Amino acid sequence: MATAFKRKGPQIVGRLGEQERGLVVELLTQTHELVAPAYDEVTGDVFTDLMSSMGEGPGQEELADRDSALRRLLPDASRDDPEISAEFRRLTEHGLRRTKATRLKAAADALRGESGGRGTKVVLDVAQAQDLMVALTDVRLVLGDRVGLQTEEDGERLQARLEASEGLDDPVVVLYAYYDFLTWLQESLAQALMG
Amino acid sequence: MSVAPPEHATPDVDRDVERNTDVQEGLDRPWVTIVWNDPVNLMSYVSWVFQSYFGYSRKKAERLMMEVHTQGRAVVSSGSREKMEADTEAMHGYSLWATLQKDE
Repeated sequence: MATAFKRKGPQIVGRLGEQERGLVVELLTQTHELVAPAYDEVTGDVFTDLMSSMGEGPGQEELADRDSALRRLLPDASRDDPEISAEFRRLTEHGLRRTKATRLKAAADALRGESGGRGTKVVLDVAQAQDLMVALTDVRLVLGDRVGLQTEEDGERLQARLEASEGLDDPVVVLYAYYDFLTWLQESLAQALMG
Repeated sequence: MSVAPPEHATPDVDRDVERNTDVQEGLDRPWVTIVWNDPVNLMSYVSWVFQSYFGYSRKKAERLMMEVHTQGRAVVSSGSREKMEADTEAMHGYSLWATLQKDE
């Protein structure tokens, strides 16, 4: 069973059951696959890599067909000015996707790594704990999208559905249970980092 | 992008606004970065982001977070368009729902 993360000197320490740890790693990995840039060839040439990272930006068609969870991870930068949004995507989207992908992978590696802890114990340094906390936001946004969590009322409705469920036959309840667990985990990391 | 908390507090919104109303940019309305409420983001996390990225005090970060939570949105920074694009990009990096616009 998981226990909340606590700060112990320079480290952030908590416990995760083997299955819980595996689940979190799996969800971080799936979110990484969703968000990692499609074309991310690093040539090693600084100029070429900089230019390829500031490409055309996503086209209208790609944006329209885009997975709703990915849209939620990369929202429009303007509510009423499509030109501002398009310009913003052209300049930032590739970099943002790369930043998120790198952090999701770092968080999964930190949990998976031998140095991350023995048995159920999870030992993170502050940077790893921050990576995990921020990465969990991306995972929770994706899970939230999958279960239709758009408003506070949706949250209350899903919570009631989880509490009323007898088993885990309902796929929405399963995903919401994951979401609920990650909420608890992220809150515990936030408290440990700010405390 | 680093998510490490800054060593020193950076100037807060109010002072940024003042600086942008001086002679150089006097005629231009400043731009603002707005963070919108989202049922997924935790109150503690949002407050942590405002402290970490903007260098706001805990008190100020919590006041802005509560404004997002109760009013549905809050202006979190103000300045040139370029600066607001950078702030919006950073907020998206932390997966907060942010937009930029000219100050109303």
